[in-house]
Amino acid sequence: MKPVAFDYERPASLEDAIALLSGAGARVLAGGQSLGPMLNLRLAQPELLVDITYIPELKTAERQGDGLWLGACVTHAEIEDGAVPDVTNGALAFVAGGIAYRAVRNRGTVGGSLAHADPAADWVTCLSALGADAVIAGPSGERRVPVSEFLSGAFETALEVGEILRGVWIPTLSSAASWGYYKFCRKAGDFAEAIGAVLQDPERGIVRTVLGATNARPIVIDGAYGDESVRASIDSQGGDMDAYDRQVHFVTAKRAAMIAGVRVA
Amino acid sequence: MKSIALTVNGEAVRGTVEPRTSLADFLREDLLLTGAHLGCEQGVCGACTVMIDGAPARSCIALAVACDGTEIRTIEGFDDDPRMAQLRAAFTKEHALQCGYCTPGMLISSHDIVSRLPDADEARVREELSGNLCRCTGYVGIVRAVRSCLGETVPEVEKAPAFKVERDMPAPAPAAPPAAMPSGAPELLQSFTVAHRTDAVWAVFQDIEAVATCMPGVSLTAKPTDGHVEGQVAIKLGPIAAAFAGTAQVTLDDTQRSGVISGQGRDSGSGSSVRGEVTFTVVPFGAETRVDVTVAYALTGALGQFARGGIVNDLASRLTADFSANLQARLEGRAVETTEIAGGSLFFNALWSVIRRLFGRG
Ligand SMILES: Cc1cc2nc3c(=O)[nH]c(=O)nc-3n(C[C@H](O)[C@H](O)[C@H](O)COP(=O)(O)OP(=O)(O)OC[C@H]3O[C@@H](n4cnc5c(N)ncnc54)[C@H](O)[C@@H]3O)c2cc1C
Ligand code: FES
Ligand code: FES
Repeated sequence: MKPVAFDYERPASLEDAIALLSGAGARVLAGGQSLGPMLNLRLAQPELLVDITYIPELKTAERQGDGLWLGACVTHAEIEDGAVPDVTNGALAFVAGGIAYRAVRNRGTVGGSLAHADPAADWVTCLSALGADAVIAGPSGERRVPVSEFLSGAFETALEVGEILRGVWIPTLSSAASWGYYKFCRKAGDFAEAIGAVLQDPERGIVRTVLGATNARPIVIDGAYGDESVRASIDSQGGDMDAYDRQVHFVTAKRAAMIAGVRVA
Repeated sequence: MKSIALTVNGEAVRGTVEPRTSLADFLREDLLLTGAHLGCEQGVCGACTVMIDGAPARSCIALAVACDGTEIRTIEGFDDDPRMAQLRAAFTKEHALQCGYCTPGMLISSHDIVSRLPDADEARVREELSGNLCRCTGYVGIVRAVRSCLGETVPEVEKAPAFKVERDMPAPAPAAPPAAMPSGAPELLQSFTVAHRTDAVWAVFQDIEAVATCMPGVSLTAKPTDGHVEGQVAIKLGPIAAAFAGTAQVTLDDTQRSGVISGQGRDSGSGSSVRGEVTFTVVPFGAETRVDVTVAYALTGALGQFARGGIVNDLASRLTADFSANLQARLEGRAVETTEIAGGSLFFNALWSVIRRLFGRG
């Protein structure tokens, strides 16, 4: 099984990458851990791949203001290993370690995961719960979109043609903040059937419950956790999930809340 | 073609590759390093695992051109490695291989575990090995072998003899033919209402070309004759682009105001095939009209292989909305938007729905 023929460029700067992406049939290549399988199956048939992993600024991770800047090409393994500053009381490293397998995590990137926009992927749910922003660069400059609104559907994002996800900005949790992340899948490293993510940050006045691995963007519920409100949100925003799906999503959310130490009574 | 220069098993290597060449193919076919095996070519099975810059990675989904400038180490490059010698001995002792297909990938992942996580317990070893599939051993021996090497001091070993296998790659398997519609194929039911009288709506359904143009992404390649339709459905969803070309037979029942479209199509690009049956009924709904659609589909080939659960239920409502908006426009004599499907059509929904059921959550 082989991909269709395409060209390959490795720009050294974001500007060059954006210029290359203006051509028809051009696609970003990051870790290739989602694009690779699609190329091999010829589900994706690009004319040009623009490898962005050699653009130095996309590999940076640093504290910025009251948050963390994470370049799009930082890998899951780098986050798992604590090679990026911890502003989330360990949440990022925990979530990273549960993505796929080490050999995939060594190359797969945060930006690639978000841009691939599989609703069952981990980062979109985790970063929505943390209140992160996606920072997008394109021919007409830079813009920010909350990660919770970055997916417009399954495999569809807020990225316009020619735009690159530069990275994400993640607000620093206060030291008293707690979080819970519960991924339900049948085999270690598999994509999730349901994800619950709960953040409680009393100093910043935040309690947030996020339900991931839905049929499109994650469901975000702000305010105190309540079984009824979770069920109601699943009913109103869950699309045509069947009874089993609804129950699994409800249970993962509740478990995440319990792990976060949120009152679930 | 692109020129690349990289280090493979300690030696400087130059090559000229097509950008689409995977690292695995470059290693196996150009360098005749056949130790890395190809199983799934989708990153799942782990048989192709090699070290790139000292970290395990899938060579099947890494492009050779993207590895320009890196340092690659395949299983052949571990012949003299003391830790690998220890692992090889442990694999032998614990019967950690039978056919050996998974073994090169297993050994490289195991080497990484032993080096990175000297304190791992059994549960951790199992979790770390979850990305390497073995169809023979049942894993017990492999886990035991890896555990026996944890925390061990690495002894000096004698240089092992060089070992090289050269062999032709087997020809790729032919693409699967379209599957027959299995009885009890998953069904999807959708309804939408159109603000028009039932007979007007039914009249549109009798015009096959008109219905086809209401479905985003559908184009007919020939005039329909006797309910026989030839055409194409183009799909674009993120990076996925497919064009199913095929035929369908449309049968209408005027008295029941219902119809059946049964068809089959094939996307030659991805080698995916689909067979399906769409049943629709047009019924009065107050002053408006409700259209009930039942879709049953069977999908084979790459699209089916790639997808797993959890995909696109919200598309269902979005796309049904597109279709009904187009139908409404048609009834009002306005132009129907004939955009390419970005996100699909009734047909496409159904397709994803089936994928979801086949590979997903029940
Ligand atoms: C076996 C296996 C299991 C997996 N399991 C999980 C899992 O459990 N959870 C999970 O979350 N993920 C999982 N993944 C996916 C993995 O996390 C990928 O790393 C990730 O989805 C894609 O990242 P990438 O850097 O490899 O992107 P690529 O594959 O290079 O790109 C993916 C898509 O995003 C686009 N893109 C990439 N970067 C950018 C950017 N910066 N700006 C704009 N567009 C961009 C590309 O054009 C492409 O369409 C799994 C993958 C495999 C192979
Ligand atoms: S062949 Fe590469 S992971 Fe299966
Ligand atoms: S030994 Fe046969 S697949 Fe593992």
